[in-house]
Amino acid sequence: MRRRAGIGGLQNAAAARDQYRLLGENVARLRTDLMKEQLSTFRSQLEDFARKHKNDIRKNPAFRSQFHEMCAKVGVDPLASNKGFWAELLGIGDFYYELGVQIVDVCLATRPHNGGLINLEELCKLLSQRRKGAREVVSEDDCLRAIGKLKVLGSGFEVITVGKRKLVRSVPTELKKDHNEILELSQAQGFVTGEEVERRLSWSTGRATDALETLLDEGLAMIDEGHRDGKRRYWFPCVSSVSSFVASETI
Amino acid sequence: MQTLGDHKFPHFFNYPPYFTLQPVRETQEKQIQLWKELILDYCRMQKIFVINVEEVFLLFSNPAIERSLNHEARVAFLSALVSDGRAEWTDKSHRQCLILWHRIKDWADIILRFVKENGLEESVMTVEEIRSGIESRGTEIHGMERMVLMRALKVLENKGKLAIFKGSSTDDEGVKFSV
Repeated sequence: MRRRAGIGGLQNAAAARDQYRLLGENVARLRTDLMKEQLSTFRSQLEDFARKHKNDIRKNPAFRSQFHEMCAKVGVDPLASNKGFWAELLGIGDFYYELGVQIVDVCLATRPHNGGLINLEELCKLLSQRRKGAREVVSEDDCLRAIGKLKVLGSGFEVITVGKRKLVRSVPTELKKDHNEILELSQAQGFVTGEEVERRLSWSTGRATDALETLLDEGLAMIDEGHRDGKRRYWFPCVSSVSSFVASETI
Repeated sequence: MQTLGDHKFPHFFNYPPYFTLQPVRETQEKQIQLWKELILDYCRMQKIFVINVEEVFLLFSNPAIERSLNHEARVAFLSALVSDGRAEWTDKSHRQCLILWHRIKDWADIILRFVKENGLEESVMTVEEIRSGIESRGTEIHGMERMVLMRALKVLENKGKLAIFKGSSTDDEGVKFSV
């Protein structure tokens, strides 16, 4: 558009802006309509796919995981309710519900040992032991989804990331940042000493002691005074593979 | 699992903190429960009836992780067994503990069954014969700790199933069964 000087020019510019805006809205609306149509096509194709591959989805954890991702992209949640098309077609609502119950059991059984914090890998290992003979294999992804559902029920379950690991928390107490840092530090050897915490994290003795004692009280740490160097060690069952050892005596 | 001799140990045995008596109550309770079971199992398998707290006891150390239970921990675990009725202190100073992986009354039942199975209902035997004679070979009675055997025999005596008497030599007592 040609620029014009003066009031007329300003009015023209405003009109031009309006027109552009309207055009933009139209384009947006067209795009949305198109997208909706594409989405609806995609959804029905997804349903066809699910029907055809029902068995694979049930039996193969990797396949199941990818299927979930596809669903998520299209805004479909097969686990949203136990009723409805998806649940009936795949019957996997029950699978996750059952898994959720077993996860709760395992967490309760190991709580006296690890204070209510268990690493995801261990949880899966214990679940597999429990489910020996079950048709469906359980993956970490399955566990995470089941826990996600548990969260929705408000059961106090949460997955937290500490360093390289994912830990499943089944007690209401939240970890403060200081505690998290100690847990991360402990991943190297499964334990820390007070001195190590002070040195590596540059904390005062008081701060280190407070955090360690809290972790001890919460049942997340155990003390070890048997090393010949005489230093007290704080071990964290949730970062080592011991939960499964101990729990297998009780499960 | 680790083995010490023939015994297979549970995995907590390889986790160093379990060798330190835990200060936090809930954690300690779990620890005590695990050790109680282990002590009973181990003593049953190895046919150990007596633990002397201050002496070396294989179960209380794990050389692979360089940890041993200190005195306080040992006493704590054994005391827990005593509270459960699965052990008894033989002295007030708690230096020696009798481990009852079978309770005394269960031992009494075992002896009664042994008597019936071997046709000894009216017989007379010395205590030593009971615990090391041919008949007892292959049974749990063989090699029984004398203290425990006497206790079980006394239970049976109270039920009128036998009579204990002193033999001609002061070393051994005898038993007349009347089952």
